[in-house]
Order: sequence, then C-alpha cells, then structure tokens
Amino acid sequence: MASLSLKKVSSAWIITILTLFICAIVFGILMRLNQGNDIKLSPNGFYTLMTTHGLTMIGIWTVAGMVGIQYLLSRYTTVSAKLNVFALVLTIIGVIMLWISTFVGNFHTGWTFLYPFPFYIAWAKWATPLFLWSLAVLGIGWFVWSVGILVEILKKYSLKQAFAWQHLSKKDPEVTTPPFILIATVSLVGIILCLITAVILLILFFAEYYSNGSFKNDPLLMKNLTYFFGHTLANEALYLGVALLYELLPEVSGRPKFKMTWYIALAWNFTMIFVLTAFFHHMYMDFVQPLGFQMVGQLASYFASIPAAAVSALSVIFLVYGNKIKWSLTNILFFIGVIGWMIGGIGAVIDATISNNIVLHNTLWVPAHFHTYNAMGNVLFCLAFFWWVANEFAGSQETTKSHKITIGLMLIGGFGFVLMFYIAGAASVPRRFAFYPNELQIGMTTATWAAFFATLYLIAMLAIIWEIVRKCIRVFYSS
Amino acid sequence: MNEYKFILLVFLDAAILIGLLGYYIYKSSLNPEGDKSIKNPLRKRFFFLIMLSAVLLILLAITIPKSPYFLFADKPPSKLVFVDAKQFNFIMSYQAINPKNPSAGESIELPVDQPVEFRVTSLDVNHGFGIYNSRAELVTQTQAMPGYVNRLRWEFKEPGTYKILCLEYCGLGHPVMSSSFIVK
Ligand code: HEM
Ligand SMILES: [Cu+2]
Repeated sequence: MASLSLKKVSSAWIITILTLFICAIVFGILMRLNQGNDIKLSPNGFYTLMTTHGLTMIGIWTVAGMVGIQYLLSRYTTVSAKLNVFALVLTIIGVIMLWISTFVGNFHTGWTFLYPFPFYIAWAKWATPLFLWSLAVLGIGWFVWSVGILVEILKKYSLKQAFAWQHLSKKDPEVTTPPFILIATVSLVGIILCLITAVILLILFFAEYYSNGSFKNDPLLMKNLTYFFGHTLANEALYLGVALLYELLPEVSGRPKFKMTWYIALAWNFTMIFVLTAFFHHMYMDFVQPLGFQMVGQLASYFASIPAAAVSALSVIFLVYGNKIKWSLTNILFFIGVIGWMIGGIGAVIDATISNNIVLHNTLWVPAHFHTYNAMGNVLFCLAFFWWVANEFAGSQETTKSHKITIGLMLIGGFGFVLMFYIAGAASVPRRFAFYPNELQIGMTTATWAAFFATLYLIAMLAIIWEIVRKCIRVFYSS
Repeated sequence: MNEYKFILLVFLDAAILIGLLGYYIYKSSLNPEGDKSIKNPLRKRFFFLIMLSAVLLILLAITIPKSPYFLFADKPPSKLVFVDAKQFNFIMSYQAINPKNPSAGESIELPVDQPVEFRVTSLDVNHGFGIYNSRAELVTQTQAMPGYVNRLRWEFKEPGTYKILCLEYCGLGHPVMSSSFIVK
C-alpha cells in the first residue's frame, strides 16, 4: 500500500504537472490566435512559445504516467518515495533551466532541435548550452527513475515473468503477471532505451560544441537519433497511461480485473519491438535514407498499432458492452481516452503511409494526429488516475456530481480543436508557421476556430483540475 | 474528388464511426436488460485481429509501390534543377551550385508532362522543399539536409506558376522562406 510519504510526493507531482499543463495550454492558445491573425506576436515570441509548449507537454505527460505507475506499483511491491522525490527535484530544476533558455535566452529550435540548428545561434549565446544541459538534467533524472522503478518490479517478478513470457507457453502458469506489470515493464524498457539515445545525442552535441567545431557530426545520423528519441518517448508515454487504465478501469467500473492471456502477452511483446522502429516514418521525405528503413518504417507503423491499440480497445469494449457499469469521472475519462486514442491512431496510420506522407509530411496533419491521442487520449488516462488518486487521498470515491457540463465542454472543445488541425493539414497548410501566406487563408480561419475550441477545453480542464488539486493539497496536512 | 479531400473524408468517416460505436457501447452499459455481454471474447478477438492484419497487409501492398522513391525511377529526367536551401531562401539553378559562392542561375522554367529532377541540399540547417500548385495544394516535397543531396523526381501535369515553401522549421524566417518556378 502507498505510504504517506509516497502520497505526499505524488500530490506534489500532480500539482506541479497540472500547473505546467495550464500554462502550456495557454501558450498553445496564444499560438493559435497568432496563426489566426487575432493577436500579433513577434516570430521570436511565437517560436519560443512553440519550443516551450512542445517540450513541456511531452515532458509532463510522460512523468504523469510514471507517477501513476509508481503509485499503483505499491500494491504489488515496496516502492521508494525517495526515488520519486529525487526525480521531482531534477525535473523542477530541468524545467526551470529549459524555460530560462527559451523565455530569457530566446532559444527557439522547436522540440526537435535538429542538428545543426542549435549551433546557428539566433538567440543569447549561453542559451544553447543551457538548453542542452536542461535536457541532460531531465534525462538523468528520468533515467534513474525509470531504472529504479524497473528494479522495484524485478524485486517481485523475474525478468521473464515481468514480460509475461510464462503465459506464452503455459495455459495456467503458477505465477500470473498482471497486465499492469507487463505494460509498465514494456514501456519502461522503451523509455530507458530512449533516454540512453538522448544521452548519446547530447554527448554528440556537446562534443561538437566544446571542441569549437573541430569535431563535426553527421546530419543524417543526428536526425535519426533525434526522432528515435522523440517519437519513441511520446509513444511510450501513452503506453504508461494505458497501463494505468488496465489496472484501474475494471476496478472503478465494478467489473472483474483484466486477466493476463497469451494474447495480451504476445501483443505487448510485439509492441515493444515494433514501436522502436516506427520512428523511421519521420524520415520518409529524406530520400537519402536507406530504402529498407523506409519500408520498415511503414510496416512497423502499421503493426505497432494493431497489437496494443486493438487488443486494448477490444478489452475495454468487452468490459463495458452490455454490462451494468458504475460510471464515474474516472472511468468516463478512461473511456473517452480510448476513443481519442483510436481516432488519433487512424490519423497516424494515414500519415504513416508513404504515398500519403508526400502531401501530409510537416503539414498540420502531424500536430492533428498527435494532439488527438495526447490531448484526448493520454492526458485523459493520466487525469483519470489523478482524479481517482485525489479521491483516495480524500478518503472516498463517492461523488454525487455528474460532471455532464464539464465532459460536454471537454468533448466539444477537444475534438473541435483537433478537427481544425486535420482540416488545415488536409488543405496543405504547413505546421510550425507563425503566420500563413495569403493563399493559405484556410490556415488562418481554422486557427481562430481552434483557439475558440481550445478555450472550451481549457475551461473543462480547469474545472477538473481545481477539484483534483484541492484534494491533493489536503494530503500535506495529514499525518 | 481530389486526393486531399479524399484523405480527409476517409479519416472523418472512420472517426465518426469510432465515436458512434463508443456512444453505442456506453449506452449499452446504462440499463442492460438481461445478460447481453459478449460471449466467447477470446475467439471474437482472435477473428478481429486476423481481419485487421489482413486489411493492413492489403493496404501495404497497394500503397508501397506508390512511394516517391519508385516514381519515375526508370524515366531519365528531361531537366535537372539544383536547389541549395539556406536561411531563409532557396537558390535554384540548372547548373551545379558552388557552395563556396552560391548563386542562382536564370529563373526556372520546366516542361509540362516530362519528368524533371530536383537535386536538393542545404547550406546550413535542415530545410524542406515543398512544391505548391497554383491552387495552393502541396504537390510533392523532399527535405533539404546539409551534407546530403535528395533527388526528387516529378512530372508536372498542369502548366502554371508553382510556389515553393520551406517545410522544415529552420528559424524566425521560416514562414516567409519561399520561391517559385514556371511550368509551361
Ligand atoms: C488544448 C491544448 C493544446 C493546445 C491549444 C495546443 C496548441 C499547439 C499549437 C498551436 C502547436 C503548434 C502547431 C504548429 O506546428 O503550427 C502545438 C504544437 C505541439 N503541441 Fe500542443 N496544444 C495543446 C495540447 C498539447 C498536448 C496535451 C500535448 C502533448 C502531450 C501537446 C504537444 C505538442 C507538441 C509536441 C507540439 C510540437 C511542437 C513543435 O513543433 O516543436 N500539445 N500545440
Ligand atoms: Cu524552414
């Protein structure tokens, strides 16, 4: 069971994450308003917001999953609250460094910081090293954290059991692996590989920076490393959220726990492999990339989606369909999150098809699909956990409120916001344009509407977050 | 219907279908009469996964041959265009460009209905090379990466003025980084 210190640090995490989330949504709305010509930011203002928004969002919703994993893991094995505090401290330091490099130093390469962009300095000179070091601090903190959590899992389960391999050969093995443990293990292994890649990438950057240019990097290799790290991290973050769903959804719905089957075991082991090569789809338009990688990219993008998404969606359908469910905000958020994940997945498969990618690559279709499975997928999975845990802290899951208005605002706001991205993306409007040329009028119109929808989403989030934070704060006064 | 609308429609249909399915499943859990839950979930799941894999394999087989790497590969290009991207413009020429002293040649005019090849690279950071037709639709594209040359082949079906936009974020001037050429 979760110790009081684990509860306290989890509360501190939740409050930090949600505060940063609100700021980052506001940055997003400001960007959309600028693209719609409703406000006038300088290009520098826009691109520092874009860089901060992208990195902050991906960062907080990865750690949100980790917070949930560690909390729920305390049901199976002893977990260390100190490890969690360590990660929190490094994360806060890292985020402060990052925001100083962007907002004070004007560093603005976007989250990709594609080599050699950080060395073509159009900002304060010190901002490049500060930015790279901020990522190093975050990377080290999360690396130690994910390795630590994996070690905690391995205290209870052998490596084979953590991957649920015994379920592949036997029908009823003596030790059964809960799906939560399997998915957490698979995602943590992926995250560790990402972070190792990030460290290699940073070392290559530092080598060139501190050798004053006598060491030169290879742009194609650096691009591959960047996308391996970024794409895979974003995917694994989502899977952490899915692990929370497997553990909590049946429980809060008053249904029997999900059981491990050879299907689920196989699906997630497959996912672990496919997801690591799907990142090649970011480089379809680099024709110098070896042809084999391009083919693997499309194949892996397709088959990374089947096992994880289809198996999970079917599990949820079988759980809900025709059974009396006790609906609360927790399982509603999980349920809507699965729908958002599926819809975003369709958008992703369309874009991951090379013959479509010619006309979709780096258009707004890209933020369209990843905002769908983040803002209407993973964010909702993690919020469902936050909501559930805040009620745990408060001592009761019972609420009489129905939250109809909040959920309605969230649905209209969230899906309306991403729909504007899809429409503009299919109309060839490029992503990452601070403002649009006149012939792309549709980019401006959709941007203004998107700002409106995003505001509805923000209002719904504020309503949910307010109640979560109020309950989390109380934990600090309990003993 | 053009390709762009088709992609959007396929997506929207699928999205709406998923949404309706979700709503239907949600409704079924509010006041279930009798036991309507799904029998034999394992078998049904197996069947569904096999179907889904088959659909994806068919899609792979149909779409892979349409990849840009294979387009016009066996037709020798009738014109070569060298493109060097740099913050924040494109230098284009029929002759190879000297990176030490890059300069554009005469303005570019390309023949209609004949394969042409763009040899695209960058002199500084990564850029993109996106070709838009006169209706502001993205026709084709490739990346411009320093140290590498991407060869993009295309056959223009319509005469007119084509605009080039940078499709890889490269700095403050990114949204105004553009150029154009004529197809006759
Ligand atoms: C309603 C809330 C949100 C709004 C209004 C918003 C808005 C935006 C906008 C306007 C952009 C720039 C699009 C462009 O390329 O022109 C963007 C990019 C991005 N957003 Fe969001 N966003 C929201 C939520 C999220 C969430 C929840 C995540 C992730 C968990 C996220 C991650 C990103 C990332 C990674 C980028 C790319 C940044 C880059 O290109 O460097 N956003 N967002
Ligand atoms: Cu650019």
